[in-house]
Amino acid sequence: MLKYTLKRVLTFIPMLIAISLIAFIISINAPGDPVERLSKAAGNEGSAEQQSGASKKIKQELRKKLGLDLPIFYISVTDLASSDTLYKIQDKYHKANLEELTHKSGNWAAVSDYYKQLLLLQKQAQKVDAKAIVTKDNTLSLNSVNEAVNQFGFEVGSLLEITEEEIVANKFKKMNALVSSNNFLAHLSTPLSLVEASREKMFSNATRWKNYIPAINWYGGKNQYHYWLVGDGKYRKGLIRGDFGISYIDGQPIADKIWQKVWISFGLSLISIFLAYLISIPIGIYSAYKKDSAVDKGMSLILFILYSMPSFFVGTLLLLQFANPDNLSWFPVSGIQDPTLFDSEWSWWVKLKHRMPFLILPIITYTYGSFAFLSRIMRVGMIDIVSQDYIRTARAKGLGEGKVILKHALRNSLLPVITVFSAIFPMAIGGSIIIEMIFSIPGMGLEVYNSILNYDYPMIITVFTLSGFLTMVGYLVADLLYAVVDPRISYK
Amino acid sequence: MQNTNENFSFKKYAWTQFKKNKIALVSLYLLFALVILAVFAPYIANDRPLYCEYEGNTLYPAFADETRTDSIYNTEGEFIQVLQYDIADWRQLDLTKVVWTAIPYSASSMDRYNRDYASPSGKQRFKNSDGEIIDIPSKFRHKLGTDGIGRDLASGLIHGTRISLMVGLVSMGIASIIGIILGALAGFFGDTKLKMPRIKYWLTLFGVFMGLFYGFGQRKYELADAFSDGFGAGMWEMLISILLIIVITFFFRLLSRLLMFGKLSMEVSVPIDTFVSRGIELLNSIPRILLIITITAVVERSIWIVMIIIGITGWTRIARFTRAEFLRIRSLEFVQAAESLGYSSIRTIFKHALPNSLAPVFVSIAFGIASAILIESSLSFLGIGVPDDVVTWGSLLNLGRQNLEAWWLIIYPGMAIFITITIYNMIAEASRDALDPRLKS
Repeated sequence: MLKYTLKRVLTFIPMLIAISLIAFIISINAPGDPVERLSKAAGNEGSAEQQSGASKKIKQELRKKLGLDLPIFYISVTDLASSDTLYKIQDKYHKANLEELTHKSGNWAAVSDYYKQLLLLQKQAQKVDAKAIVTKDNTLSLNSVNEAVNQFGFEVGSLLEITEEEIVANKFKKMNALVSSNNFLAHLSTPLSLVEASREKMFSNATRWKNYIPAINWYGGKNQYHYWLVGDGKYRKGLIRGDFGISYIDGQPIADKIWQKVWISFGLSLISIFLAYLISIPIGIYSAYKKDSAVDKGMSLILFILYSMPSFFVGTLLLLQFANPDNLSWFPVSGIQDPTLFDSEWSWWVKLKHRMPFLILPIITYTYGSFAFLSRIMRVGMIDIVSQDYIRTARAKGLGEGKVILKHALRNSLLPVITVFSAIFPMAIGGSIIIEMIFSIPGMGLEVYNSILNYDYPMIITVFTLSGFLTMVGYLVADLLYAVVDPRISYK
Repeated sequence: MQNTNENFSFKKYAWTQFKKNKIALVSLYLLFALVILAVFAPYIANDRPLYCEYEGNTLYPAFADETRTDSIYNTEGEFIQVLQYDIADWRQLDLTKVVWTAIPYSASSMDRYNRDYASPSGKQRFKNSDGEIIDIPSKFRHKLGTDGIGRDLASGLIHGTRISLMVGLVSMGIASIIGIILGALAGFFGDTKLKMPRIKYWLTLFGVFMGLFYGFGQRKYELADAFSDGFGAGMWEMLISILLIIVITFFFRLLSRLLMFGKLSMEVSVPIDTFVSRGIELLNSIPRILLIITITAVVERSIWIVMIIIGITGWTRIARFTRAEFLRIRSLEFVQAAESLGYSSIRTIFKHALPNSLAPVFVSIAFGIASAILIESSLSFLGIGVPDDVVTWGSLLNLGRQNLEAWWLIIYPGMAIFITITIYNMIAEASRDALDPRLKS
């Protein structure tokens, strides 16, 4: 048994790596830039110039701290045309644009030259000081100068992100018009023509054949995934040492966030599974005992229909009926406590008493989901057992019917029910997103849902990996329990 | 059951068994009704009348293309107006003869006189052709009420039928193709039976890699452009990509024939069962709803993409059943006969073994449809995946949740979801009993 367990635990490792990789691949494709979001959350207000100066540095540091300036994985598969240093470009949109340009031209050197010229032009355009121009030449109004400068800056900025031929040509036309019609922009005409020339060169010197030869780049241990897994020795300790990283929403450590929320979801699922067992085992036994009676048939049909009822419908119906001033306002609509009354100093008993009315509807919804399913499993399992030979033997030797069912049959019919119990672990970490959303319960489900909507991918990857781990542990525990409950099963 | 009839066929037997279950039979009829409702949805619930006479012109607006524009002249040949079919307010036109659809509202059209959750039994307003606001005539009553922006609930439910049936079909179609092929290969070949020369094995893997590189890696911009043009164009490009991958893989397989010497030509067995089983295990250890929500949050919002995602995460159950069935079948006489006659493995699998293993697979597909519909409506209920302008049962229920006073937005869509899922579950359960008496509970 020990050997079997160890063997199973060993298979967890490649599985967990695969799961974390899946989560990683999904989340690096998420739109938006986490650094922008984090620095916004930190409250970087200020004028445009300040932002471009000071906050740029902060952002760069943040990027470094989060490891976002590194390649994503140990290797990457690209083509010969693409650069293996593209990951160094920070802006996500610039990166996508450059990638597409490289795909079209096949000449990375020319593309990067074009990019550099564009950045140069942008820098020079930003240096134009409208106020100085107006003081020098008072025939101009500040507004019109500002407008022209801003327009030019906008066109350059969007060129950095846009690939489509026609739009780009249009932008160049507009910029040329701006430069020729406004004297104060005249000094930009040389860099602008350089940009245009480099763009033309990009296509005239195209080496598209390079696109068709695959290239594999090796980055070694300095990559985001590696640091996430084992840490970088400086800021992070890595997953294997229990550091899940920080949330991109508020910068909090993810382990803390999960630890705060997990109890609510775990408690709810524990209570509801317990209740589900409490109801469904007697129902299952009774139906199986009175098999094919009217009660059994009716019960089976009802259970079957209940089984098809989506839990979000049940939850909403409960809210409609019992937490609605129009009908019965028995329970509060949302949350797990009343913030005006709740006191964290209370003893757990008072806390529980306070929270009970908040929890009743969610617990019913939670329980409901597994109860119909469990009862059906229980009934089928019981019927199977009752037709076994040893039950006939027990009856033949004159045991009372109650003793036959409760002592001989029940224990063995519990086997399939164990499987369901193993589902409780992953449910605690993933939470039930839908139920927690309906009742606004601040548990893991809602947390996960919010982090998905906000592309908080360190959180998503952690939840994926943890719930994958717990699912596998659940399966293992179920398999081991089988062996404990049923001596016929052995893993030797 | 003794059957001495010479024309005895398994299909007939299963059908007789199925018919014995009256509830399942009723479910099957209900399913037909839903399909009819879905197919004819535009002629059941539509803003535009089926037939009308306007200024002496006979029009069939509901059957016309939505974007159609007509210039209307009266009987004397004078120009009256340009009639744009999709934005014209047909209820206010001076129509001399008119046949409306059963529900004279489209799913997404907003009735601005009955905004803010008009109750089915409450007061509803209507603007007649003279421009006066009156109590609503019974023909135009929103019989199941409206939502916050005045969309008719009955119409939304009927158009939602379309989406939910399509979700079931498309996603389970994808899931069954993946699941049956992988499950069949894994079950038939196991870990040891698929043997090929070492060079062929490596070059096939390399071919798949190159195929993915050219088919998806190099074509990603074409694919992205096509998908932004529309789903059809996108699928077309996708098909080209997949064909490309297959062609390239076969090219490398052919190439391996040239290199067949020495140690390279030694036979190795491909552990295909291990691959598939590990894949299933992997997918099963990630909570499915979490996986689906995460992917839908990252990709573009579209009902088609939701269907595809549900499909590619839902094949494991089908693959498991197919695999188990193939494990059983591969040692039966008829498969061995086919093999000893020298049929190729592909022919044996798909022509001889597969038709005999479909019964349990069919059952798991039917259960799968129910869960696909459940997942889609959960996603719409959470407000992710499906775009806001697409009316689905789940999104309607979500509107009801946000405004508990509008009970009709909770009861009716919820019942629609519930009944559809029940129908599929009933059919699945009855066909399990009919197709495989051993499994009968």
